[in-house]
Amino acid sequence: MTASTLSTPRDSVKTWRRFKYPQSLIKYGIMLIILVFIAISIQYLNIHLERVLTMFGRLGNLFANRYYPPDIPYILDSEYLGYVFETVKMAYLGALFGILLAIPLSWFASFNMTPNKRFLYPVARFLLMVCRAVHEMIWTILLVTILGFGMLPGVIALSLFSLGFTGKLFSEEIEAINQGQVEAIQATGANPLKVFVYAVLPQVRVAWTGISIYTWDAAFRAATVVGFFGAGGMGWYLRRTVQQVESNRVAAILISIVGLVIISEVASAWARNKVSTS
Amino acid sequence: MATLEVKDLRIRYNRSGPEILKGLSFNVEQEDFFAIIGPSGAGKSTLIRCINRLVEPNSGDVILNGRNITKVGRRGLRKARRNMGMIFQEFNLVERMSVMDNVLSGRLGYIGNFRSFLRFYPRADIQRALELLDEVGLSDFVDKRADELSGGQRQRVGIARALIQQPQILLVDEPTSSLDPKIAREVMGMIKQMSEEAGVPVLCNIHDVQLALEFSNKVIGLQDGFKKFEGPTKKVDKATLDEIYAMEIL
Amino acid sequence: MMPSTLEHKLAKILTKRKKYKAIRYGLYIFIFLLVLGSIQTTIIKDTDWEKIGTFGTVVKALARFFPPDFSLFPHLVKPTIETFMIACLGTFLALVLAIPVSWFAAHNITPYKSITYPIGRAIMTLSRSVHEIVWGLIFVAAVGLGAFPGILAVAMRSIGFISKLTAEAIEDINPGQMEAIRATGANGFQVILYAVIPQILPVFVGNTIFQWDINIRRATIMGLVGAGGLGLTFHRQLVMYNYGGVTTVIIALLLLIAIGEVGSYYIRKAII
Ligand SMILES: Nc1ncnc2c1ncn2[C@@H]1O[C@H](COP(=O)(O)OP(=O)(O)OP(=O)(O)O)[C@@H](O)[C@H]1O
Ligand SMILES: [Mg+2]
Repeated sequence: MTASTLSTPRDSVKTWRRFKYPQSLIKYGIMLIILVFIAISIQYLNIHLERVLTMFGRLGNLFANRYYPPDIPYILDSEYLGYVFETVKMAYLGALFGILLAIPLSWFASFNMTPNKRFLYPVARFLLMVCRAVHEMIWTILLVTILGFGMLPGVIALSLFSLGFTGKLFSEEIEAINQGQVEAIQATGANPLKVFVYAVLPQVRVAWTGISIYTWDAAFRAATVVGFFGAGGMGWYLRRTVQQVESNRVAAILISIVGLVIISEVASAWARNKVSTS
Repeated sequence: MATLEVKDLRIRYNRSGPEILKGLSFNVEQEDFFAIIGPSGAGKSTLIRCINRLVEPNSGDVILNGRNITKVGRRGLRKARRNMGMIFQEFNLVERMSVMDNVLSGRLGYIGNFRSFLRFYPRADIQRALELLDEVGLSDFVDKRADELSGGQRQRVGIARALIQQPQILLVDEPTSSLDPKIAREVMGMIKQMSEEAGVPVLCNIHDVQLALEFSNKVIGLQDGFKKFEGPTKKVDKATLDEIYAMEIL
Repeated sequence: MMPSTLEHKLAKILTKRKKYKAIRYGLYIFIFLLVLGSIQTTIIKDTDWEKIGTFGTVVKALARFFPPDFSLFPHLVKPTIETFMIACLGTFLALVLAIPVSWFAAHNITPYKSITYPIGRAIMTLSRSVHEIVWGLIFVAAVGLGAFPGILAVAMRSIGFISKLTAEAIEDINPGQMEAIRATGANGFQVILYAVIPQILPVFVGNTIFQWDINIRRATIMGLVGAGGLGLTFHRQLVMYNYGGVTTVIIALLLLIAIGEVGSYYIRKAII
């Protein structure tokens, strides 16, 4: 702060600019490109600004006048509750089958442990990729067109969804294991299956259990809506009430979905906690 | 008039918990390098944090150049804080920000929200930051990220950040305990020299008695929230130290 | 005294173990029976096996989807671009809205703990618990058909994920850096700007890219409820019984998702 330091700055420190020649230019350039892309997208998708501005009013109106009051007795009806029970069953069957299928597939699809790199590895990867890439609702629709309405297409769609979801996470866990134990078992001359069972499974068991619980949670969320496309469960009610514009019932169904998902989330968080601490 | 007056400062962290500071009073004069020594858990860090109210004291007064800091509101507190530079044991630099931005963050109390959002600082601040970085010997590191620096370098950035505030006092909490002995002495010397140049008194917590005796001109010995000793550094002898650190031996 | 208590403890642990083992096997059997029961009621009883027919008829139903109707390809360009843009704009909107939500839902920086914290958590939970199809239905009802409700639905669905992980990252930040900035006399806004944001930026950006990848998948189905993009084409081909066209749409959709996957991989690599 003294006068002497102020008046004699060293030459090398005289100036400083926040703008650095290549880095800052690249940074601002990328930001500009993103903004331009957003502007082009808004233009291309025909989004009108006044629609954005009136949106809140209309949303408020939707909730206040059409959804309110929710028709609570409708969701307490025993028939509806039966469908809720079906949804739960579909979800856990789907999750279960998905997880069971994911065990061999994720083994084949893990780069370090796959029994066959040339053939099994790419095939398993591809299968998992396709399961994950195609949205569960598209699976549902396709299966409903092939198999007809009912819970069977729902369970299969949820299984495929869970398989894609779990398979990737499972194989990532396998790829992160400790190779030392694997080599120890391999040294005894065990075949790949034995290596998998005795060296890999014990190491990934805890992580896999956590992932499986999480899968159940995700499958349940999806199960609440697969019925919308004809695959059983409470989603079917959603479709009916939406099509008949029974807004108060729609609201009640939405409340039931949110409530159930929250319950399942709390339960799965509890279970995951239990697994990771035990 | 003393630069900083602390009167009967008391604090407890929980209402039912123990009292950590039990009525502390002392004065820091314009030219002081004040060392606070004492065993671990004596309340040294708590005392420093009470002065700029990072921790709210339960009662007592902290008066900086005639302003009672314990009585001011939120806005007043921010004004008071920018008049007190603080240096931390763990440096507390924003790791993912450049050295320059870390130093400039010392000016946040003086600039508005808009300027701070754009990181658009007045020219004079930037100039001052460059000078300070030059003084602490970091002119080659201006655009480096803080997490690329060594411990000693980080603490020097911390010193520059505290001094760019143009503070009326420096609050220093164990500036050297994360550093090796040689660097520790350098950093202490730097704090002493630069605070003298700027004419700012220093209130410094320090665990290392040797360093305290070497750099300070006054010492407070703290033990279990009580002031066990206060006086000029030359009066500190073995008996005083034994008394202050009595708890630690037990 | 020592050995006896030790033995006692050991015995206790052993009996406990035995009890746990019994409980565990009981649980396994229970789950197994439950699964069998569910399979019986959901799959075997509920399904109209006669209508599905033999394995041959199923294969025939599948065969209708082949070969793909490649003449449809030129008509898929626009909806594919639309889908991509819905995903991008939805992610962008989610990113913007996730900022206040994560601010509210991080208990160490939330402005008025008793009010804003529960609000933040509630938005977070609501956003994640409602499936994108349902969000789509709600927004189509509110703002009409088109890409706009699709963007809103995709955004609503990902706010929760982005802000949950961001809020957790905020709760984990180094409080010393916040303290240091506060000690300079900075106000709350400046503390967030200088001490919080730099610390959580990598997590925030990483999650946003991750969500972008997922949002491309979500955008592909928005058309099923009237909210634009490839889903609409998919639905149209299906109701026209043009199964070859359906396959073509799925191929386009897989290509789009592959692009997203590769893109997000490289973006993440470039940033980290
Ligand atoms: N945030 C807090 N909440 C509750 N108690 C605290 C808190 N911070 C410190 N304490 C307690 O206050 C007492 C004094 O702590 P303080 O950190 O001030 O000691 P110190 O003299 O700085 O010790 P050291 O030399 O180890 O840094 C200790 O008993 C500590 O347990
Ligand atoms: Mg301390």
